Amino acid sequence: MKKAVLILSMAMLVTLSATGYYLYINNQNQNNFSSTTEGINSVEVSNAEKNKDGVEESETVNATLAPKVLYWGSTGQDVKDVQWKLAQWDYYNGAVDGIYGTETYRAVRAFQSKNGLGVDGVVGPETAAALGLNFGPVDGGTQGAGTTAISRNDDIYLLARAVHAEARGEPYIGKVAVAAVILNRVENPSFPNTIASVIYQPLAFTAVADGQINLSPDADSLKAARDAINGWDPTYGCRYYWNPATSTSKWIWSRQVVIKYGKHWFGN
Amino acid sequence: MRFRRWILPGILVIALAITGVWGYNQYKIKKNYETTMQNSYQRMFYDLKDHVENVQVSLSKVLLADSQEQNVILLSQIMQQAYLAEEKLAQLPISHKDTAKTEKFLNQVSDYSYALASNVLEGSPMDQDQKDALLKLQNYTDYLSQELMGVHNKLTEGVFNIGEIKRKEKEDIENANDNMLNVRLVKLEDKMTKSPELIYDGPFSDQVLSGKAKGLGDKKVDIEEAKKIAQEFTGAENTESIEVIEEGEQMDKTAWIPSYTFSIPKESSPEDSPIYIGVSKTGGKVVWMENSRAVNKPKISVEQAIEKGQKYLVEKGYESMESNYSLQYDGLVLINFAYKQNDVTIYTDLIKVKVALDTGDIVGMDAAQYLKAHHDRNIRQPELTQSEARGKVKTDFDVDSARLAIIPKEGAKEYLCYEFKGTYQGGDFIVYVDAITGKEVKILKIIKDENGTLTF
Repeated sequence: MKKAVLILSMAMLVTLSATGYYLYINNQNQNNFSSTTEGINSVEVSNAEKNKDGVEESETVNATLAPKVLYWGSTGQDVKDVQWKLAQWDYYNGAVDGIYGTETYRAVRAFQSKNGLGVDGVVGPETAAALGLNFGPVDGGTQGAGTTAISRNDDIYLLARAVHAEARGEPYIGKVAVAAVILNRVENPSFPNTIASVIYQPLAFTAVADGQINLSPDADSLKAARDAINGWDPTYGCRYYWNPATSTSKWIWSRQVVIKYGKHWFGN
Repeated sequence: MRFRRWILPGILVIALAITGVWGYNQYKIKKNYETTMQNSYQRMFYDLKDHVENVQVSLSKVLLADSQEQNVILLSQIMQQAYLAEEKLAQLPISHKDTAKTEKFLNQVSDYSYALASNVLEGSPMDQDQKDALLKLQNYTDYLSQELMGVHNKLTEGVFNIGEIKRKEKEDIENANDNMLNVRLVKLEDKMTKSPELIYDGPFSDQVLSGKAKGLGDKKVDIEEAKKIAQEFTGAENTESIEVIEEGEQMDKTAWIPSYTFSIPKESSPEDSPIYIGVSKTGGKVVWMENSRAVNKPKISVEQAIEKGQKYLVEKGYESMESNYSLQYDGLVLINFAYKQNDVTIYTDLIKVKVALDTGDIVGMDAAQYLKAHHDRNIRQPELTQSEARGKVKTDFDVDSARLAIIPKEGAKEYLCYEFKGTYQGGDFIVYVDAITGKEVKILKIIKDENGTLTF
């Protein structure tokens, strides 16, 4: 009798926990989703017109990402990027392991004092910019009528995040191709007219819907995004790509196939 | 003893109650998100409907309006409202295949009315053909707004809500079409297929979209010849190691420049990313080349790199190219070269070269724009002198340099212009004045970048 009560209550508890967990997971998804919608809304203010020949024309200020800051104890790809850059310029000779420890701290301080930056051992937007990395906007100081806070970097960064989310593990040229497809969409009337609204168009990219877009891009993705923005287009103008192994849409198979890089087919 | 018997079940009951409360809270939060999301979609839909109605009303007004001022105002309203409608439509959770044609229609309406407005401002009023096109567009917009009205009525009756699409999509992508909103829009898509082809000067006009490359010549090249070209271009030792990238059936039909694409492994470091190269099937021109590699410590200066790039282009048969802009990043320099003919810089014929700053090797080239635009031009004599053209620009604009250039404007049209580079109120600008008509055609604002340099 006692045992029966026990087993019964245990069973109920397990069921309920499972339900609770299920709801929690669902909730997480919703969270992801609503952050996507937020992204969509903020897109409306940005209407900077970009052309591919190096000179920019723009009318309004872009929506920007919040700046990132790295300090002692930080980990991840960004730290790796910083370490790699510092190692390249002989400030750092430890391992490029993505862990911000004593040696990285010393190297950052040395770099800052050599380059006339505030010596605090913290990598903020300004130090990052001096390193040639993009960690979000640098404070431009006072701005006259002629100067602006417009920069192409935030577009490159967003594009790189999309590339990283969609084409991690693809050969380098496949990454450039994915970035080129996004840019070809911007220039096509059947799609939205800014990089952000193409990337955040609902149901367009699975890696955007499931939140992978928020991962930090690696150096290769950033490079690929830059190459594509500078005009390289290995797809010869394609607007679609799909992975035959995972694609569930029948419609995508009716596209006109042009070329294959890595696992992705590209087409129109 | 009796008491102890109830301890465990007691704890379990409490745990159960806590889980229950927690679960209910989670459920409530989830509901909340769902509502927020649905509200945002609903708002998007209502905005879309309003914008489309505004486009329709303004289109009918523009057909009636006789004065040029009214025409320009109404056309710019159409442009703005159609643009906004497209923005909203693109954010609704409907799959792209069911909205692509409607999006294209709205973008073209916006683009077309912009082109017409600039025409009117330049003093050429709308002709009968353009009015006929507008009438057709008005009929389609009318149909579009009726359809949206139908969806709207269903929405208010509470037959479905937009958020449901999202959930259904998750369960089964194919079933999503059962949804009313989608069904309506699919019907609309069929209709939009027949919307008129628009020929005008704008980036989205149909003749620009289907434009063919002009700078290729007409010699057909087969794959073996193309391999040879790739081998010579990259300096690879033999053609055996060259791998062909698999191409699709429609390469020849839909690519901007139909090409063979090869990858060439590096013999010294086979693990590294290979060199990729595209050779056009017509003309056998190298469309692009990409050699992605890690760059070591910079050893040469940007000026030296530009020189190397210039030499490289001459070697590859591009004689009169002039560097205009360079951008330094990741240990390499990207240089823009524009074609120069009789001292006129032709910006449409653009080749980009990437030079690694460690060895001075060329690690990338992109000639797609050049090959698309380059052709034998008969450049007209300018009708204005440089100082006459200078007179058309604001007097307190500080001019640093001036020269003749051909620039592309909306669509594929080319303009012969005087190019004035200078500063105004602390900002750097380039102003283009048409050398034939004397009108200010384009103003570029130069965005300063510590790594980028304009070199003219």
